[in-house]
Amino acid sequence: MSGALFGADPARDPRFVVKERWIDCDNLARDHPLHRVQFFHRQMNEEVDSLEASAQALVDFPEAAWALRLQLARQCADEARHALAYRAQVERRGGHVGQFPVLNFQYRIITARDDLISRLVIQNRSFEAGGLDAIAYGVEEARKLGDHELAEFYEAQLADEISHVRFANEWIRKSLKEDPRTLLRMGVSLNAAAQAFRQVMGSEGTEGADYPAAVQARLDAGFTPEEVETAAQMQAAQAQAQAAAGGPARA
Amino acid sequence: MALTVKQRGQHIATFRFVEVRLMEILSSWVPSTPEMEAKLLFGPHIWDTAQAADALGKRAHELRLPLQHSIAPTAAYLEVIAELSAVDGAARRIGALYDVMLPGIAARYRRYLQRTDNLMDAPSVRVIEGILTAGERMVREADKLRTELPALQCSDQAWLQQLAAREERVLEMVADDGADEARRAA
Repeated sequence: MSGALFGADPARDPRFVVKERWIDCDNLARDHPLHRVQFFHRQMNEEVDSLEASAQALVDFPEAAWALRLQLARQCADEARHALAYRAQVERRGGHVGQFPVLNFQYRIITARDDLISRLVIQNRSFEAGGLDAIAYGVEEARKLGDHELAEFYEAQLADEISHVRFANEWIRKSLKEDPRTLLRMGVSLNAAAQAFRQVMGSEGTEGADYPAAVQARLDAGFTPEEVETAAQMQAAQAQAQAAAGGPARA
Repeated sequence: MALTVKQRGQHIATFRFVEVRLMEILSSWVPSTPEMEAKLLFGPHIWDTAQAADALGKRAHELRLPLQHSIAPTAAYLEVIAELSAVDGAARRIGALYDVMLPGIAARYRRYLQRTDNLMDAPSVRVIEGILTAGERMVREADKLRTELPALQCSDQAWLQQLAAREERVLEMVADDGADEARRAA
């Protein structure tokens, strides 16, 4: 997978086996004994991807406003902490780094864009905003299972991610105000990112992976009530369509 | 003679330039260093150096320079920074930054603290003391990682010593510290 939709791979040490498509990964069933270890391992690498994307933005856009660079720098620190925390979750369950193949599509899709606002739209306002829904769901699930330590970890991560989405929303709105043509660029970038995402995930990778919109988290992250409502409706429609097709309601 | 306000501003803005470059160099190393543990060491230190730059940038404004103003250091010091930026490999990068550059910069900060008026330039002193504390923590974290993962220890000590010698040979980091002007005014 290359060309305009994907940037270069980030470096990985020999413990990691890097795959390009979701279907080529070990996608263990929910009732597999290693399912959760695999999930945390995947999250760990995604946090590293996110760290790498924010760091690359600091390198690629030295002329960006200092206040924005400062927030990107903070994001680097946060994502590194999250990766360490997920690694601890993997190891606590007897797993190890490199146990499962990994995907670096996030970094590659984000860095394929050559302007910072597009990267914020894709990384923070799309991937991380989707993460808000997944983490908020994870909090509830962990509490139901009585794993309060994991629930607390998710809560802490959620607070961090809300900050990342919020600052991106602020800078995107500022950019839209200053130059309405930003909207066109955002559309082109989102379209390219969606295309690339479909290439990586296929229909298998996204089936049943819909989480209900985390309304309060999204509001806290600076989405307008209208935007949150739209996200909620889209996710509900997707879940309904999958249920009608006989697919799983949720991953 | 104690530093003038102008000299203080020039020093602080130059320090800011260096901290921003450290932030950018660490950032460039994150995607390009294969070892995950090294990436996760660098990540939080991007934030540490950004905070240092931010505090210096605010202080520069108080010293009558534009907010978040940077001044490039001497050409000789720029060469040292360029050399750091070009270092490859996790162990060498960690050695170059945490064994050479950060201690070297700390020594320069301490020299500034010796030269400045600790009463009238107290806000700069506070900022620099905070940066020194953070820098010591960064070095401790790198040492801890290398104790846990000896493969990240740079085995080429001679290369590190040469780099340190080059850093030390650059006596003045501030391109124009205003000393001549201060002497003329006196």
